[in-house]
Amino acid sequence: MLRSGALRLCPPGALRGPRGSASPPARESRPPPRSFASEAIRVDLSLPNPSWSKDMRLLFDQFMKKTEDGSWKRLPSYKYVSPQSTEVKTFFPDAKPVKGADMPQAQLFPRSLEEGRGFEYAMFHNHVENRTVCIFQGGPYLQGASGFLHGGAIATMMDSTLGACALRAGGVAMTANLNINFRRPIPLCSVVVINSQLDKVEGRKLFVSCNVQSVDGKTLHSEATSLFVKLNPKKV
Amino acid sequence: MLRRGFQVAGRLSQHRVLPGVPQVLPRLILTSTFGSSTDSLVSRFCLEKTGLKDYALPNASWCPDMLSLYHELQEKTKTDGWVKLPSFKSNRDHIQGLKLPLGLAVPSDERDWRIFTRCIQVEGQGYEYVIFFHPSKKKSICLFQPGPYLEGAPGFAHGGSLAAMMDETFSKTAYLAGQGLLTVSLSIRFKHLIPVGSLAVLNVDVEKIEDQKVYMSCIAQSRDQQTVYAKCSGKEVLSPSPRLCPATITHRTNGRKNAEDAVPSRDPAS
Repeated sequence: MLRSGALRLCPPGALRGPRGSASPPARESRPPPRSFASEAIRVDLSLPNPSWSKDMRLLFDQFMKKTEDGSWKRLPSYKYVSPQSTEVKTFFPDAKPVKGADMPQAQLFPRSLEEGRGFEYAMFHNHVENRTVCIFQGGPYLQGASGFLHGGAIATMMDSTLGACALRAGGVAMTANLNINFRRPIPLCSVVVINSQLDKVEGRKLFVSCNVQSVDGKTLHSEATSLFVKLNPKKV
Repeated sequence: MLRRGFQVAGRLSQHRVLPGVPQVLPRLILTSTFGSSTDSLVSRFCLEKTGLKDYALPNASWCPDMLSLYHELQEKTKTDGWVKLPSFKSNRDHIQGLKLPLGLAVPSDERDWRIFTRCIQVEGQGYEYVIFFHPSKKKSICLFQPGPYLEGAPGFAHGGSLAAMMDETFSKTAYLAGQGLLTVSLSIRFKHLIPVGSLAVLNVDVEKIEDQKVYMSCIAQSRDQQTVYAKCSGKEVLSPSPRLCPATITHRTNGRKNAEDAVPSRDPAS
């Protein structure tokens, strides 16, 4: 899927202040209209917050250590995809905010739920090995079968991780195929590690695969293979 | 493994109790007897549950296509044997009173849990959907309208949101058709992006039921069937036993009409 690292803008009401003092964005009414140009605030959500469990924080610290020698890089993650970014303008020239006006009503799906309720994750990329690792904690709004994470939530995170891997390897690409095997259900509110790697590139096709494991590496929860296709700016 | 799985590992900063909006569900009129197990599953699944809000009902955010198709299918619930499935905030509300496989029990502390496809409750912002099921044909139709909080590419629904909608429709269909419970595999071929706020119609068929597994296929397309958004096949099992999960990985050829070159089928993993 398309993940753009360009500038993100947040409505004033949803600003995340010092960790622990963020208030959930108002969900019961529409945000007031505002312009994109007025403020440019990046709020990177791939950072620890109070909802992260101990396991999640430990893993995050482990991976942050790996970034010290430059082989690994932490990937920032934002709530909004700005229609003003270069990539969006190239591949989606008709993209405009939903329901008119210039308010960012839309939110990137895995970042659209409140802190701790939905997807809490951080991704790290190794450009030498073409691997992307995502540490993921699924919150209580991602329920499937009682007590477990919804298959669709796992699919969403796998798609996001595979997409991030494809993006870094080959540029803007869209998911064409996604084949998932679920082996063991993931308990709700637990932490898992999604390891993805680029298998091969054939022209515009990027073959990426991943697996989802428990923190201790002993349980294989699911596996996926996927095909991403690089977008052609002339044809979209 | 399953019993251990109910221990919640993460701690959340606060529990939020949502006000429930009591709503009386429309009374379900069954014309058939309780002869087949599908009929009895459907009748228990659709039992009137007072105090629970059914989210699978029209609201102001539904686009005209979704409204008109909903009314068409509602008519068919009176004449053609279709059943509209209720949709509650939590799966727990669905499974109260239902027969579950051994080892799977309803955890006690989940006031704050929501089924993924009802995670965003503001009308029109997230998933707007309703599923109609036909007990004897073992088919489902899901009307799905993704909101702006499900975005991936700007102006279009995230692939994961469609995957989740397909998985959820598979899950309910598999349960009612063959008591399927957990998804074992999903293979999705994405063809076109779904614009946010537009209607996608998911047609789900049960292909076969054997060895405690339910095999299903799904096509997601526009109402006029001119645009195919994605095709998917899935498998659900009744028992969550890991023995039933095969080791092979299936691959699919991609038959995208707008691809310049044909995509070769991948070699299956040995």
